[in-house]
Amino acid sequence: MTQRSVFELSSVNYRYPEATALDGITLTIAGNERIALLGANGSGKSTLLRILAGLALPSGGSITFCEEPLTEERLADETFSRQFRRRVGMVFQNSDVQLFNPTVFDEVAFGPLQLGWTKPEILERVDAQLNALDIFPLKHRSPHRLSGGEKKRVALASVLVLDPDVLLIDEPTAALDPKSQGQIIDFLFGCAGKKTVITATHDLSIIEDIADRCVILENGRGVGDAAPHSILHDWELLQRAHLVHIHRHRHGTSEVHAHPHVHGRHQH
Amino acid sequence: MHIPDGYLSPSTCAALYAGAMPFWLIALKKVQQRLKTRFVPLISLVSAFCFVVMMFNIPLPGGTTAHAVGVGIAAIVLGPWASILAISVALFIQAVFFGDGGISSYGANCFNMAIVGSLVAYAVYRLISGQAPLQSPRRVIAASVASYLGINVSALCAAIEFGIQPRFFHDISGIPLYAPYPLSVAIPAMMIGHLSFAGIAELMISGGLVAWLQRTNSSLLKLTAPGLMENDKSPQAPSWIALRWFWIGLAALMIATPIGLLAAGSAWGEWDANDFKKPEMRQEIAATSQNMAPPENPPAGLERLSTLWSAPFPDYAPAFLKNKNLGYMLSAMFGTGLIIFVCLLTSWVLRLGGNHSARQPI
Amino acid sequence: MKKRPTGFIERTIGSLADALEHAAIAETHAETGGLLQSLDPRVKLFGLLALILTAISVKKETVTLAILAVAVGLAFFSRIPLRLLTTRVWLGVFILTGTIAFPAIFMIPGEPLYRLPLLHWTVTEQGVYTALRLVSRAETAATLAILMVLTTPWTHLLKAMRVFHLPVVLVVILGMTHRYLFLLLHTTTNYFEARRCRLVGELDGQARRQLLAASTGVLFERSLQLSEEVFLAMQARGFRGEVFILNEFKINRRDWVALGAFIAAMILAFWADHS
Repeated sequence: MTQRSVFELSSVNYRYPEATALDGITLTIAGNERIALLGANGSGKSTLLRILAGLALPSGGSITFCEEPLTEERLADETFSRQFRRRVGMVFQNSDVQLFNPTVFDEVAFGPLQLGWTKPEILERVDAQLNALDIFPLKHRSPHRLSGGEKKRVALASVLVLDPDVLLIDEPTAALDPKSQGQIIDFLFGCAGKKTVITATHDLSIIEDIADRCVILENGRGVGDAAPHSILHDWELLQRAHLVHIHRHRHGTSEVHAHPHVHGRHQH
Repeated sequence: MHIPDGYLSPSTCAALYAGAMPFWLIALKKVQQRLKTRFVPLISLVSAFCFVVMMFNIPLPGGTTAHAVGVGIAAIVLGPWASILAISVALFIQAVFFGDGGISSYGANCFNMAIVGSLVAYAVYRLISGQAPLQSPRRVIAASVASYLGINVSALCAAIEFGIQPRFFHDISGIPLYAPYPLSVAIPAMMIGHLSFAGIAELMISGGLVAWLQRTNSSLLKLTAPGLMENDKSPQAPSWIALRWFWIGLAALMIATPIGLLAAGSAWGEWDANDFKKPEMRQEIAATSQNMAPPENPPAGLERLSTLWSAPFPDYAPAFLKNKNLGYMLSAMFGTGLIIFVCLLTSWVLRLGGNHSARQPI
Repeated sequence: MKKRPTGFIERTIGSLADALEHAAIAETHAETGGLLQSLDPRVKLFGLLALILTAISVKKETVTLAILAVAVGLAFFSRIPLRLLTTRVWLGVFILTGTIAFPAIFMIPGEPLYRLPLLHWTVTEQGVYTALRLVSRAETAATLAILMVLTTPWTHLLKAMRVFHLPVVLVVILGMTHRYLFLLLHTTTNYFEARRCRLVGELDGQARRQLLAASTGVLFERSLQLSEEVFLAMQARGFRGEVFILNEFKINRRDWVALGAFIAAMILAFWADHS
């Protein structure tokens, strides 16, 4: 991946009949950046992710991919579309939506089949990818018999098999048990310097590990853009974006009070 | 009313597969054309929905429960062709994976439920709902009646398929090889259950769904209400007032037919060739024919004709039931149902040719 | 025997649970090693369908029962327990088909065998044979059909149907329907169980209808919403309208032998039927 910009958004809007999901988003994403899109539910981060994935078209403003405009006409073109779909992979929040094939094997093979790879190529690459994510034993399993963590890994495999340059991930740790969450975080950590990763999340406890830059959305508007470290200390910003909560809690064994905070403690 | 394996002869099964095939092919083509890339996920999810609905135990008045096929639902919300596909897919999974319904009889089951059921339900829905606004109660009534009729015509088809088996498929001594009951037994036997329990279950689930959609998401009903938003010159469906009297009149006629039995002796002209030979019948014929003596032997033409069409209902009383009045009423229902079906199909076919509005349902 | 649930919610939850259980059983058995499991799905599909067609075409009950015996033998060698066949197939088919066939023993004219005491209905020999024929045919066909499902993963079965020129798009749709079926079964079960927990006492007719309408409506909207999201997920992985499938089927000598055996059985059955 060269260092030219991967995505460039300029005053992007997305409007529904009754509401505005995105309002005037201007953003440049460079190659191999790891970005965390932060925002509460309804802040527009999923919509933004979909626009980046070419699954939704902005109502206003413009977006380019690798310095070429990303428009409906271009996506309708078969050659461009094939290339784009291979290079930009999206992992959906709800794995049940992403796993629409009858078995794990069919799922991971779907992308390559659509892109026209040959049968021996597909068989080889699918097996390799299943092994890489440690899900080879699940090869002939149906999705409804998989656990949440297994589904997530299959979803990742189905995208990674195409070796995309850009990964768009929507709420990767939502509804996962701690062990599976850990595996995902490890993976995202390992992407540093190799892929452009944009992760939408509201989980502040992981952003330092999965991202080098945070973009904060609030009600469809960009309200912050800085390194995770600075963001985590900007309580005013975090509160405004509804990313922290306030409730009574204990410090140590006796003191109980309420103030904005983020959950998470660890030992070395 | 999923027909299991072994009740229909292989040739009947083959004929019904052949009969279903053109509808399947047309449905596939039309739906693909209309839905384009959304075709695969939409039909899959709707089929899965239909399948789950088929598992619902629907509470009937009186405390019992029954299952519905949902022929009305898919046809009313997505149109007849999508419904044909979705219900066929659901029936396939039911038959093959769950063993509910035969494999050789899959064509027959699809023909009855997916194809005839969807087409009848759709036609009746369009006929009754006409140009009524999306939120009007008329649409709920239309959906209910449409599903009720849809499932009953399906059951009638199944009953006919059962009933013709002993006539055509028997061994040398005349013993039936497949379904052993003639039409006079098969039809009432199937229709009783469907005119009552199964029909009411269909009615409830379709009417219920349409009413619910009207409250929560009425735009979903737009697809099968073409021409509603644009005040175009689509043919006017008969107004509700006129239609209501039609149904009331029909119902009254059906209930009143047993009264015909009470009228003096037998209906004039409806004698069969054997009646001419029996002394008591000869007296009756004379009495109702202004005391003119009937000929000694049945007229040759009558003799030949009366055996040509051995009416499935000799003397309108199926052997299966003891109560003549009930048998009479059921025969009337069967007859009227058939008439309604033919009328509706004709009017729908005629309308298909004329109406090419942009938002044709699929 | 299961305790009979009361109330339509209970019964619906029961039906849904039964479907899920059936699927779990099918998947378990399809994965174990056994005679039928080891065959190429196309050969298996063709062979079992041929036997089903034979079973419904032959006229002699003895031949039908012989085919049933073959089916039971195949089940045995495929490690399908007889107990499973009994509960999942034989009992159900016997009750359904038996109920339909039962009146025939009185209605078919022929040699009287027995006369019922109070009603004076006569059981005839031909009537009994007709009923037996119907039941044995239905049981045989149902046994062969379930063997197909218990020894083959659903997706293989669908891909095997390409041999009969089933269009690829239908193979994909059938696969996707099957996959999402279970999701919807789970969602609906949760919905009904949540409702059941909140109920105190019985519902009246009106409330029952409301619940039915709401559950159908919610399920319908969820299905439509899912289909939209799945559509996006498909597009994200390159879907542009055309579907493809990939199968890993390989026919070996054993499969050809099996195919030969199926055809031979069919020919034998027809010959025995005509002699």
